[in-house]
Amino acid sequence: MTTVVAKPPSPSRGVMRVLKSPLTARILFPFAVLGVWYLIYYTIDSRIFPTPQQVLVFMWEEVTLTSGVRYGSVVSNLFGMFAISLARLTVGFFIALGIGTVIGLAMGLSKSVDAFFHDWVMAILAMPALVWALFLGLAFGFGHEAPVLTVILSGIPFVIINVREGVRNTPKELFDMARAFDVPQNKITRHVLLPALLPFFFAAIRYAYAIGWKGLVIAEVFGSDRGMGWTIKFWYDAHRAHGVIGYALFFIIFALALEKLVFDRLADRAFRWRPKIDAVEMAEGDFGAVRSEAFLLTESQEVGDGVALTSMEGESRDG
Amino acid sequence: MAEIKVENLHKEFGIGDDRVVALEKVNMEVSGHVFVSIVGPSGCGKSTLLNILSGIETPSSGTVTITQDNRDAEPGYVFQAARLLPWRTVLDNLLFVQKDRSEETRARCQKYLDMVQLGDKVDKYPGELSGGMQQRVGIARAFSIEPDVLFMDEPFSHLDAITARTLRRELHEMWRQTRKTVLFVTHDVGEAVELSNRILVFAKGGRLEDDLQIDLPFPRDPAEEEVAVAKAQVLRKFEELDLVAS
Repeated sequence: MTTVVAKPPSPSRGVMRVLKSPLTARILFPFAVLGVWYLIYYTIDSRIFPTPQQVLVFMWEEVTLTSGVRYGSVVSNLFGMFAISLARLTVGFFIALGIGTVIGLAMGLSKSVDAFFHDWVMAILAMPALVWALFLGLAFGFGHEAPVLTVILSGIPFVIINVREGVRNTPKELFDMARAFDVPQNKITRHVLLPALLPFFFAAIRYAYAIGWKGLVIAEVFGSDRGMGWTIKFWYDAHRAHGVIGYALFFIIFALALEKLVFDRLADRAFRWRPKIDAVEMAEGDFGAVRSEAFLLTESQEVGDGVALTSMEGESRDG
Repeated sequence: MAEIKVENLHKEFGIGDDRVVALEKVNMEVSGHVFVSIVGPSGCGKSTLLNILSGIETPSSGTVTITQDNRDAEPGYVFQAARLLPWRTVLDNLLFVQKDRSEETRARCQKYLDMVQLGDKVDKYPGELSGGMQQRVGIARAFSIEPDVLFMDEPFSHLDAITARTLRRELHEMWRQTRKTVLFVTHDVGEAVELSNRILVFAKGGRLEDDLQIDLPFPRDPAEEEVAVAKAQVLRKFEELDLVAS
């Protein structure tokens, strides 16, 4: 006869568990980045490459408006520039969402509409935001047009494709069920069609926002005389690397904050009905913008000219 | 009294060389407080018949009338998969198919959820329930509109044997209490013998081959000799008709 006795966990194993946990790994990452940063700083011996302290001090001065640098206009500080960029992003984002949803719905519902738009959506998707920025900058000059249009053009294919997939993946068996029970059509639309589309629409929103935000900065670098992108270029022209890195960090912080504070919360509310996933998956799934509600289109290059299908969550749990 | 009348029902899919006959000139009549099983091999048109009865598909020719005391009867459905709205709670899934959301309607929904032992799960989402519980919600939903006739399309085929057995008993008890007319599609002869007064045997090509009466008292235990003998007889019938998968 064999007896199996559970061993009490030894203290050293407990330490190992903490060390190996995903949370430790996540906390460790920023420190690793700092380490590499200092390593580069001391190896390359450059007067331009800043230390993390320099960047932080710069960012603090920008936030408190004490940097002493004046661009000659009241709006030419962090908050003024940010407001301009945000306004451009918002306008472009909603236009992309509106037009993209209509085209996506039409493509999902009609094969001929799909055939009509398909190649052109792919073409727009393949176009780097940089090309839009340069072309639109030349065409419209340094106004609001080029940045806003770049946001629209870089975001709209993601909206179209996600909405189209949403329509194609509507659960036929639920419609049949509703019809068999004589549920009126408007009730079916509200309670079956729209909730089924929602995850795809959320994915569309996240991508239009994230890709649009990146497109906007590129457009502002090349086709604008104000905004966050222009400010990054200003510091680049001034050979102040701490300014470039500082503004890039502002940009990332804002994008992550919106993702966490707005999109994640909206998604949690909208998808309360989803079965809870286990802790490990949560830790991984929680990784910022990597998570998507339905259909993930990721870009493989910095300006968004590559598309990859990485995940398709099963929407229908029904056989 | 509910009455289902099917006359010369014919259904084909496709055209030309791809033509497939799903149902061939089917005639049948079902009425009163009976539990009728429709049994046959896959592809014999039994699900198509149920889809036509439920209005999801239209027949190529022939007529179907479902009446309750000379008016149009109201049917209820239980599907192979539960087909619940995953974004609605258990109670809301039942309310979704109701004509109104009055207190009376809510109480009725609660009553049928109690009957399938889910009275305390009304606020759960389907994703939080097991497959057996989801199918129970599906059954409660069908009963909750208090239909005149109930159509069921292999409702237990996705479940494990033990859960299926429990649900079969519960369903039968509900049928006994509510005195509905039930049309139950299955490919499981044992299940059909355990539950039905009457078994309609369909063959490939959508022909109604036989109409068997099972006159044994309920509840039937599949382990009892009489039930086992009846099952063996039905299976022999299948062999005679050459319906057993080769």
